[in-house]
Amino acid sequence: MTFFAEILISLLIVAGGFFAFVGSFGLIKLPEIMQRLHAPTKATTLGVGSVLVASMLYFLIIEGSPSIHELVITLFLFLTAPITANFVAKAHLHEDQHPEALPPTGGEHGWATFDAPPDQRVAGQERGAD
Amino acid sequence: MQLALIVLLPFIGAVLPALMIRAGRNACAIATFTVTATALLILLVQAPRVFAGEVLHFRAEWLPSLGLDVNFFLDGYGFLFAGLILFIGLLIITYARFYLAKEDPMGRFMAFLLLFQGAMVGIVLSDNILLLLIFWELTSLTSFLLIGYWSHLPEGRQGARMALIVTGSGGLSLIGGMLLLGHIAGSYDISVIITRGDVIQASPYYIPALLLILGGCFTKSAQFPFHFWLPHAMAAPTPVSAYLHSATMVKAGIFLLGRLWPALSGTDAWFYIVATTGLATMVIGAWIALFKDDLKGLLAHSTVSHLGLVTFLFGIGTPFAALAGVFHIINHATFKAALFMNAGIIDHEAGTRDIKRLGGLVHLMPIAATMAVIAALSMAGIPPFNGFMSKEFMLEAAGHTAWFGLAFDPTVAIIATIGATFSVAYSLRYIIHVYLGPKRDDYPHQPHDPPFGMWAPPALLVVLVVLIGLFPNTIVGPLLATSAGAVIGADLPYYSLSLWHGLTPALFMSIFAVGAGYFLLTRHSRAVTFRERFYRPEAKEIFDNAVAKIVGWSRTGTWALQNGSLQRYLAAMTGMALIGGYGAYLGASSAPGSNPMLPVPALAVVGWLLLVGACAAVVILHRERLFTLVLVGVIGVIVSLGFLYLSAPDLALTQISVEVVTVILLLLALNFLPKKTPIESPMPIKARDGVLAVLAGIGITGAVYAMLRRDVDSISAFHLANAYGGGGGTNVVNIILVDFRGIDTYGEIIVLGIAALCIVALLDTAMQGASGRRIANWQVDMRRSADRHPLLLVVGTRVMLAFALVVGAYIFLRGHNDPGGGFIAGLVVAIALIMQYMASGFAWAQRRAGLDYHSVIGWGVLVAGLTGVASWLFDYPFLTSWFDYITLPIVGTFEVASAIAFDLGVFLCVVGSVMLALSRLSRVGRIAEHLDVAEGPMDVDPSLHPNGPPSETRPTSSVAAQ
Repeated sequence: MTFFAEILISLLIVAGGFFAFVGSFGLIKLPEIMQRLHAPTKATTLGVGSVLVASMLYFLIIEGSPSIHELVITLFLFLTAPITANFVAKAHLHEDQHPEALPPTGGEHGWATFDAPPDQRVAGQERGAD
Repeated sequence: MQLALIVLLPFIGAVLPALMIRAGRNACAIATFTVTATALLILLVQAPRVFAGEVLHFRAEWLPSLGLDVNFFLDGYGFLFAGLILFIGLLIITYARFYLAKEDPMGRFMAFLLLFQGAMVGIVLSDNILLLLIFWELTSLTSFLLIGYWSHLPEGRQGARMALIVTGSGGLSLIGGMLLLGHIAGSYDISVIITRGDVIQASPYYIPALLLILGGCFTKSAQFPFHFWLPHAMAAPTPVSAYLHSATMVKAGIFLLGRLWPALSGTDAWFYIVATTGLATMVIGAWIALFKDDLKGLLAHSTVSHLGLVTFLFGIGTPFAALAGVFHIINHATFKAALFMNAGIIDHEAGTRDIKRLGGLVHLMPIAATMAVIAALSMAGIPPFNGFMSKEFMLEAAGHTAWFGLAFDPTVAIIATIGATFSVAYSLRYIIHVYLGPKRDDYPHQPHDPPFGMWAPPALLVVLVVLIGLFPNTIVGPLLATSAGAVIGADLPYYSLSLWHGLTPALFMSIFAVGAGYFLLTRHSRAVTFRERFYRPEAKEIFDNAVAKIVGWSRTGTWALQNGSLQRYLAAMTGMALIGGYGAYLGASSAPGSNPMLPVPALAVVGWLLLVGACAAVVILHRERLFTLVLVGVIGVIVSLGFLYLSAPDLALTQISVEVVTVILLLLALNFLPKKTPIESPMPIKARDGVLAVLAGIGITGAVYAMLRRDVDSISAFHLANAYGGGGGTNVVNIILVDFRGIDTYGEIIVLGIAALCIVALLDTAMQGASGRRIANWQVDMRRSADRHPLLLVVGTRVMLAFALVVGAYIFLRGHNDPGGGFIAGLVVAIALIMQYMASGFAWAQRRAGLDYHSVIGWGVLVAGLTGVASWLFDYPFLTSWFDYITLPIVGTFEVASAIAFDLGVFLCVVGSVMLALSRLSRVGRIAEHLDVAEGPMDVDPSLHPNGPPSETRPTSSVAAQ
């Protein structure tokens, strides 16, 4: 039992390390910001997730005491990673792209970064908008 | 106890007039009068014991480790002065009630007057010399307030400043002298010091101590060459002049001369310094007074002259002369206060104090004229008034004083007679040029006698002038005997208080002085022309130039260090630390210690490389501000990891939360700065900074290496051993903060709160004036996003808020035993709140939070302070912590400690300070960017339009604003 658990935990840790590596590698190698965004947010989440699962299994089986810290960490990761990605994407749009060059949103309004819905516009945002 | 009460009453009572003025000017004056009268009454109750030769003592410990105790003693000399101060104080209060105009704030005047009175009484009753110094400085401060009472007049302000600078510097000198004196005598008690004259005079420190003490006395008593401040202090309202310059402020120096007379006098140094200064002051003051056209100017210089006379008498050093000095103090107080009040009456009723515009007033103001004539004749030394007797004593003493130590040595007598001559001349001038002569018709006002309340106080003094002159033995005999006895210490010399002493040399000198004085006055205009021929140094000009010079130097010096360049401050501080460290290095052994070196794990090496790399990157990239901030963040994280690695979880937690808050605040500030730093430092400065940095780095490395290789015997062991037993917790860091060093922490949170308030003050000021206009006209230098408060962030931070608050509470509660505590919890909660502000904008979130962070800081300090005070209820010192274990069913046994309430105060202070700083920065941002307060929590809010935007042409597959 313990042996198999150790095998499993080891595999998970290796997988986690692999994904972490892939994420870092992608961050360097991918040419576009939007592509690079995938590397840390997706791959790193998987990597860290594997390590967390490994940690939970370790405490549950080897140490014999269940640990829920990892769940909280997971929760925080799930909360923060999308927000970070969202911000990186917004910053990229804001800094590097022209609204005309972007594909249409398919809706009535433009991209939120450039164009807030008319009924919610306030004076300050008009100034900021292009 | 009564002694302390006499001193304390005026201080406590100073509140009364300030309050009673609301009930009217009469109520205010009566309240002030009552306070002084009560103090005087308590003093008079002691009179029988004092006259019986008893010395009363009051002792209480204040700061025994410094030798500063609240010791008062009352002997004849102190009784005389305290009586003069309080008695003339009463008259001044009455007089001032009628003198001050309706638009003068009387409450303030009376409050200042009482404070000054308390300080003066404190000086004359203090037994402890340190206590005396405190009161001494208090008189300088309160007299500054009084002289500058008419703060709308430039003369008033300048005169007050001059008086403060001169007497304040004298006070500084006096502090040095008194400390030396106390050191020599081996006691800080005056009553002991004055019995050790022989020890003091034999000491090699005698001369420096004497010079320093005289520096204090001479400045206070306006002795030549420090006499110039007194005439300029005449810009004060007349009651102030009458009080300060007849009986109190300037008499403080004289008082001290007399007080220390037994300890210091009798040496050649004492004689030549004090007697010469006094004699010179007497003659010079009288000479100038003769030519002053301003009534108060005349009286001011005459005061200088009479103070010189008393100084001269004390300086002679014989018991008889000292007795004459004490006698003249009494007489001078009576006639001079009366004359000052008289000058005030003339100013009040005739509208001018210029002698050239006055004359013939005797017909218009008979009452004032009578009083002026008597008081001035007394000042001139004409029998049968009291001034005559003390002047006779003075001439008598002068006649027996040999300057060069020869058998026939009339120098002193001649100079004293010349001084007396001038004195007669200006006194007669006060009578003849003001009151006598033809009536004029060009007075600014129509002069008439003042109301009763205004002439009664001087009248009382004039009556005393006459009575002392006629019946000296009955009126002042016992008082003079006890007070002079207290000064001299031994048996009184032979003297006889009477107007007629027979045909003594003094009488002839006196007669000569009167005749010559009158003659001089008749040739007054010729004397004026004579005087005009000579160059006269203008004291105010010299003083102003000197002050301007000193200000210039100090500005140069300050500007060299404080020119607003942070680089320079840092260089100066690092440089000083280097010098200090190098000094310590030279002074101690630098042999390596014997502790073994520890192995270096790979993890530590990685962290170290990161740290070094980040630091190097900052140096190279420091002109990219945003990037530098990121690097600084990296450094902060590594440092907190380092703390964690070195088993300091508390520090690590603190460091990481401080790091977060700092980065956010810096981001806000960086918004208004250029995104790139321009090249500011030329090469030499870069080289200087580089050398300093490298040296400091080497020094710190060496110091750390030396400390870690040795066994350092620090207080840590004590803290570790006592944390649980003494403080009831296992988190030693927290126990140190809230218990062992609780009062430090208390001070620190107050400093933190003050720092936050300073940020408010600085930024609010920056919003006004030139910088405010610059901010208002600031051009947004980066494109703004339309979606400033994105949905994702708003929702995410709302979820996080609950978690973060729980974490904060958890960290707070467990702080006593595990890493955490109020400080870290405060930062965590502040971060949780800041996240809301970042997501939804400060103004919107602030409106929702509804917390006034000023009061949060206030509550924090209050809660922490009250926790400390609570231990008083149990008879423990401030901030003693208490803890116990309580067992409840179900919950089990848990600890209750008072430290948690203190920690709550810390927590509130931290939250309040951080949030207050943030709120001001974001307010600046809002003004600079012309932003309105956001209406909603986020810019694009799909919940407002669950079915998409309210549009007629809404496409079916709209994803709304996602």
